[in-house]
Amino acid sequence: MLKKRLIACLLLMDGQLVESIGFSKFLVIGNAIMAVRHFNAWEVDELVLLDINRKQNYDFGRDDVNYNNKIKELSELIRYISKSCFIPLTVGGGIRSVEDIHKYINAGADKVSINTAALDNLEIIREGSKMFGSQCIVVSIDAKKQPDGTHHVMKNFGTEDTGIDVVDWAKKVEEAGAGELFLTSVDQDGSYKGYDIYLVSSVANAVEIPVIASGGVGEWEHLVEGIKKGGASAVSVGNKFHFTEHSTMHAKKYMRERGIDLR
Amino acid sequence: MQYCTKCVYPAASAVKLFFDENGVCSGCSVNAEKSNINWDERFKMLKEIVEVYRSKDGSNYDCIIPVSGGKDSHYQTYYMTKKLGLKPLLVTYHGNNYLDVGEENLKNMRNVFDADHLIFGPSVDVLKKLNRICFKLMGDMNWQNHAGIFSTPVQMAVKFNIPLIIWGEHGRLDLGGQFSLDDLVEMTAKDILEHDKRGYDWDSMTDVGLKKLGRPELAEGLTAKDLFCFKYPDMEDIAKVGVRGIFLGNYIEWDANKQTDFIINDFGFKISPEPFERTYRRMSNLDDMHENGIHDYLKFIKWGYGRASDHASKDIRLGIMTREEGIEKVKKHDHIKSKDLYRWLKYVDMTEEEFDRVCNTFRDPKVWWQDEDGNWIKDNIWDDVETQKQKDEQHKASLEK
Repeated sequence: MLKKRLIACLLLMDGQLVESIGFSKFLVIGNAIMAVRHFNAWEVDELVLLDINRKQNYDFGRDDVNYNNKIKELSELIRYISKSCFIPLTVGGGIRSVEDIHKYINAGADKVSINTAALDNLEIIREGSKMFGSQCIVVSIDAKKQPDGTHHVMKNFGTEDTGIDVVDWAKKVEEAGAGELFLTSVDQDGSYKGYDIYLVSSVANAVEIPVIASGGVGEWEHLVEGIKKGGASAVSVGNKFHFTEHSTMHAKKYMRERGIDLR
Repeated sequence: MQYCTKCVYPAASAVKLFFDENGVCSGCSVNAEKSNINWDERFKMLKEIVEVYRSKDGSNYDCIIPVSGGKDSHYQTYYMTKKLGLKPLLVTYHGNNYLDVGEENLKNMRNVFDADHLIFGPSVDVLKKLNRICFKLMGDMNWQNHAGIFSTPVQMAVKFNIPLIIWGEHGRLDLGGQFSLDDLVEMTAKDILEHDKRGYDWDSMTDVGLKKLGRPELAEGLTAKDLFCFKYPDMEDIAKVGVRGIFLGNYIEWDANKQTDFIINDFGFKISPEPFERTYRRMSNLDDMHENGIHDYLKFIKWGYGRASDHASKDIRLGIMTREEGIEKVKKHDHIKSKDLYRWLKYVDMTEEEFDRVCNTFRDPKVWWQDEDGNWIKDNIWDDVETQKQKDEQHKASLEK
């Protein structure tokens, strides 16, 4: 049995780290470099960095600070933070081609996360996994609950319903060569009410590849639920790790005390 | 420049803002959360936290309250001692630039509250050196105060083995909406190092540190020994004691104006007898004569706004000022080069020419440009549409140059 993993998810908008509430409200927490340095020291297992930029509006990061607050390009930011990152780093956001994958890996990413491009053309997953290996290709899925209890895959930052069933889509991308799934519940995101356990377990039961649960963590108990009830291989936290001292260390301790074999 | 449609903040605010589809800033939207929060429930949460840390066997203090002696310090201490029945240790980092009324308020605390008070004052010579270094390095002569305020009390928590620290409001949450009130954000080494210390650590201002930063010419002969009080404790020490800093603003419905009236009436707190040049409020920042003065003038130099914008935005959100009234305050105060400058120049032995020269190196080109005669121009929240259009074009042309 592989060891479970605890993942910190960093969301970027206009080059700044943000917290996301329901995919629609954002608050600017600061610069990614500080989160990377501290979370590395605080024993988290992996980092996922997702650029969710809509407007490409990089103005007004203050520059009277002792870190680079003026980076406007994702690959430049990856280069900057990967120097301080000693754990696996997955990067996503705006990947449209195999060249983009290459660019981010070159800059220092260990894996890439692909969302929209896979929905547009599954070929990127096939080609990408052939070129870089499946372990390098994470498919990110944003899922929204439907009135009948199933989940649809959402596009365009969770705003556009593709009508595709999440379980069908997960199987499809696995077959195409995805090495891992990063599964976010649009409904639970920023709610602090816990993962959508039904969503996690229905996908985890349908595929062989690891599923990372994301969206909704408000208590460390939710992490335990994601693994024990949802069957996730890894659990991801976006907002909450920014709020308390040594957050990821406390989360891991809590999980270990409840019998979870962590990396 | 984009301005919030509800308060008076510009997009160039020191705390980076997020604007929603109606042009309302994240500071306003986080403050608007207050009316939807069940504060009775929050009070229960606060009581539960406090009970965990209360010294049950009576062998130690129950918590630390970092105090400057200001309005928030008084209210925090009132709340912890009178409402929750705790025995706090009050801890002050003393930056040596108190206004007389601020010093009086500081002394008032152990007279009116049943609490012991530890005042930590760094060497004045070291403080003067830090004033000069930090002004030239980052355009902020008060960096050491932010560093001290957020480090000394945490050191005392470790030294005295008192895990719980009670802060007032989370400043950036309130001003710019850095976090939501639902996040119940707590003190972290990460947030303090990144924002309060702006990435500069306690030993950055030593000769060795400045050399590492590529600014050896700023060296003033400081060594690590001079700067202990600016050091946030190591991760191991924080973990060993289990230090936990919470913000009272997350648990009670914070209203600075009402709270100030209350502590004036019931606990003898005094506001400034003199008006400030750079803001209309007389109850804030009495612990440092330059905080509302030239320290804040540097914010105007950098990003084109100042304390009057901060205070007006707070008061608009609290519903005691209209946006139009706020704009009048901004117009009156934000640009003033205040007279406390001359005291500071004497304090650190600097000329006004040098001060101005250094200031101009910190003007953000996103905010400021120069006309043909070399005057510094920015757009203003009160500019009419036509003026704004003209200025936009001038600004664009100057950026292209």
